[in-house]
This record gives sequence, structure tokens and C-alpha cells, in this order.
Amino acid sequence: MTDTKNITPDTSVEICGVKFKNPVITASGTFGFGKEYAEFYDINLLGGICTKGITKERREGNPSPRVAETPMGMLNSVGLQNPGIEGFIKEDVPFLNTLGTVVIANVAGKTEEDYCYTVERASALDCVKMVELNISCPNVKAGGMAFGVLPESVEKITAAVKKHCSKPLMVKLSPNVANISDNARAAENGGADCLSLINTVSGMAIDWKSRKPILANVCGGLSGPAIKPIALKMVYETRKAVKIPVVGMGGIVTADDIMEFLVAGASAVQIGSANIFDPTAGLNLINELTNLMKRCSINSVREITGSLKI
Amino acid sequence: MKDVRLKLKRKKTLAEGVLEFEFSSAEKLPQMHCGQFLHIKVGGEFLLRRPFCLYKYDDYSVTLIVAVVGGGTRRMAEMKEGDEVLAVLPIGNGFTLGAEHKKILLLGGGVGCAPLVSVPLTYPDKEYVSYIGFSTERAVMFKDEFAKFGSVTVCTDDGSAGRKGYVTDVLRQDIEKIKPDVILTCGNTPMLKAAARLSADTKIPAYMSGETRMGCGVGACLVCACAVKEKDGSIVHKRACVDGPVFRLEDVLL
Repeated sequence: MTDTKNITPDTSVEICGVKFKNPVITASGTFGFGKEYAEFYDINLLGGICTKGITKERREGNPSPRVAETPMGMLNSVGLQNPGIEGFIKEDVPFLNTLGTVVIANVAGKTEEDYCYTVERASALDCVKMVELNISCPNVKAGGMAFGVLPESVEKITAAVKKHCSKPLMVKLSPNVANISDNARAAENGGADCLSLINTVSGMAIDWKSRKPILANVCGGLSGPAIKPIALKMVYETRKAVKIPVVGMGGIVTADDIMEFLVAGASAVQIGSANIFDPTAGLNLINELTNLMKRCSINSVREITGSLKI
Repeated sequence: MKDVRLKLKRKKTLAEGVLEFEFSSAEKLPQMHCGQFLHIKVGGEFLLRRPFCLYKYDDYSVTLIVAVVGGGTRRMAEMKEGDEVLAVLPIGNGFTLGAEHKKILLLGGGVGCAPLVSVPLTYPDKEYVSYIGFSTERAVMFKDEFAKFGSVTVCTDDGSAGRKGYVTDVLRQDIEKIKPDVILTCGNTPMLKAAARLSADTKIPAYMSGETRMGCGVGACLVCACAVKEKDGSIVHKRACVDGPVFRLEDVLL
């Protein structure tokens, strides 16, 4: 018999024809455009990178404070500060062109036209292998989550954007909805090639002594280990509702967390807040995942996806 | 920037709720500059790191001033000698002085004095005059540190030590005599606003080190936005962590 503990596990996954060397993708908004973390480790080791949300025009985002620490989590209210598609192409694409990892462009907008324009520009770039449609940002007044709440609007925006997207389209779902399965099916019906979930959970933090909210924008999006159970349930439900691949995220900080998402039905995962807590989180998780697979005699991550027994 | 393991070598109380921590590192630390900061993983239930300015440093040690203001800093205050923490350092631009800056005025308020103490370490060949303000005598710190490299004027709000009044008001009475080339400052927002008015009235350029709630500390997450006026008058959000923490005082919307 072969001793599987001596075999290097196969961590590679393929989603919509795009090959990832491992299932660890850094989540949008927590990894900038990659440069900052390249100072800490070789980010080419990552399965992929989701960029900060890109809009048609440059945006300054919300006023400060934009962050609050909460039990086992954090609230943020950045409000999609980004250099705009032109700034992205000028300032960030040259660096992304040098990378040997999958770059996923996260795109947000105010109007359907904005989304279509930015998706068309972003998906035409050589370095961009996939587009993630951000219809789930809770921190902007117009656009963002407004497109992502009702199943009808999810289907409409997905169908509109799909016509302008020359790369596989991943739709990022919001957890702040009545029924995640309905929204997942709506995105699939609109032509999404795969789904990612969950974006942050709407939340609030208050300093009762000053009678003031901690965030200048009053409310924000909750992330971190606090939301993992919510995310796992939604990945599980989404996996049952659709045929397209699902990328899971929400509070992953250990390799065991990654395994839980894979078992729930995710083909890959995104790492968000963990990057903020530790600049080397992505690299640590890849190493921990490989070691965990060796210890548990798992040959391939693909055999774990959707292996939940009920 | 590097994520390094630091060991607590020594801690002492400077004033009520303010401690000095000296950490050592087994490996040689990256080159540091005055006004930069580090980002400490406090541990336990606290997931976000905590930023502290560099107070003193050399190749194998770094000393910080910690004001106990909440749960994270309370946990730090409970650390024992020998305990270890992870810290990203050094972060940010720090204070930069040019050849035209010969006479430097250091203006500190409370624990905000801490980042100013390392300026003469980086720039030993300048002339320094320090004005430091505290609420009351019991809160006075750092006087001996500033006295090492120039004259120091202590002010207290209640007059229980040094000269009575806000440090910015006292400085305003003296500034014509001192004629500094530049003011470097750090303190609470009302103090910084008063310093900004003083700088505008006297046409003496001033630079401040700011503080804000921080996320990643490496420039990626954009939660530490600082509203700054550009040359063309537009307002942009800069990252306090890597674009700052030092900004030209007149540019910052306080």
C-alpha cells in the first residue's frame, strides 16, 4: 500500500476553465491590488487574488472612522474607495501583469451602464482571468447591494453584465437577503459562470457613552470568524440550489475553516479579514492546508468539495 | 516592513494608565526612522492589531509608549517580561527634515510626545526646542528625555507643574523669540487644531503625526483614511498607515 503521508497532496482546482494552483484566493477589499503584501511573501504562491472593488470613476469612499473591532470580528465601511478603471489600468495592471497567480477583477458600480462599461474594460485585460461582480457591498448608498438584494435585480444585472464580460463571470452574493438560494438561482439564470459568497453581514457598533456610532457611516459590514457559521450555511444552501461552482468565504482563519467550506460545497475559498489580522495569512493558510491534507491522508482538495454527509 | 517576533524585556509605568515597554528581537530589526510605527498582534480575543509609534529603537530592540485606553491595550498592560508578540515594523513615512530645517520645534501633548522623542535620534545635528503639555503635574512625562537634546518647556492645564495653560497658547507667547524653521507635533485633535492656527499665523511650516483606527497597517484595506487637501484644493483620502502617519499639518482636515 502507498503511504499517502509522503505524497504531496494535489491542491489544484479548476473553476470555469480557470486553473488555480490551490483553493486559497484573497478576498476583495482586503488585499489591495496585491503590491502591499508582496513585501511579506511571494504572492504568486496564492491560488488567486481578487482585486479591490473597481468602479468606472475614481472614488474617495466614506469618511473615517471606517473600522470597528467587534467580538471575533470587525466592521468596515470603506465605501469602495478605488482609483477607478483608468487608474487601475495605469497604476496597478503593470504589476498584476508580472504575477503568476490568477487575478480576479472585482467590479462595482452605481448604474447598470457603469457595471457593463467597467466589466468590459476589466475583462479585456490580459492579466484578468475572471471578473467578480460586486453587487453586495453594504457600504455605498447607490449601487452595490441595491443590485444584490432582490432576486429579480440580481438576474437583471447579471444578464446585462454577462454580455460585456469576455472572461468567466463570478457573482458575489450578499448575505443580507431574504433567501440566499433564490438569489443564487437568479444569478445562475442571469448567466453567472460561478458564485462567491458571502460578502459582509450588515452591522453596527455603538459607543454608548458618547451616544455615537463608532463608524462615521453609522453602519458597516461585519466580517471575521463571527460570521463563519452564517457563511457555511449559505454556501451549503447555495451549493444545493445551483449547478455552477461556488467559492466560499466568511471568517476563514485556519486550514480547518477552509476544509469546512469545501465540505459545505465550495470549490475554492476566499480569505478576507485574515489578511488584515496577519499580513502573511495567505501563505500560512496554504502551508497549513497542505500539512493538514498530509496528516489526514487527503490526496486532492477536489475530493472534499461537497462531501458533506447529512 | 517585516512581521517580527518581539520579546518583552522590561515594562514600567510612566504615569497613570501610561506604560513604557521595551521589546527585544533575536533577529536584527529592519532600519527604522523617527515617526514610523509598528503594528502589534495583541492576541486573545483581539483580532485587529494595535498601532504604536516608535519611541526609541536600535538594531535589536524597540521601546514603545502604551496608553491604556481599551481592552487591547489593557491586555498589553498585563503582559509579563518574556512574553512574545508579533509586530509588523517599521510602517509609514515618519518625520523628514531637510537641510533648511536647522532649528526644530517639537510640540507634544500628553502621550503624543512619544513619537517626537526619536526625532533627534535620526537627526542628531539639529537644534531642538521642545514644548510639551499635560493636564496636570501627575501626568507629566518625558521631560528628561526632551531635556537631553535641548531646552524643554513643560505646561500643564491647571498650572500644577511648569507654565500654566495649553501648550499651544504658551508657545504662541514665545514663538517670535524662538523662530523655529519647522514645527513637528503630535497630540490630541484640539491641540493639533491650535497648532495648525499657530502655524498659519506665523507662516512656520508644521508636520503632524496622526492617529486613527487602523486595519491591516500595510496599505491594503483602506480603513485608516485621512482626509488631506491636495495642491489643487481637492480633498483626497490618504492612508494614515503608509502614506502617513506624518502629514503637513495645514493639509489635514482635522
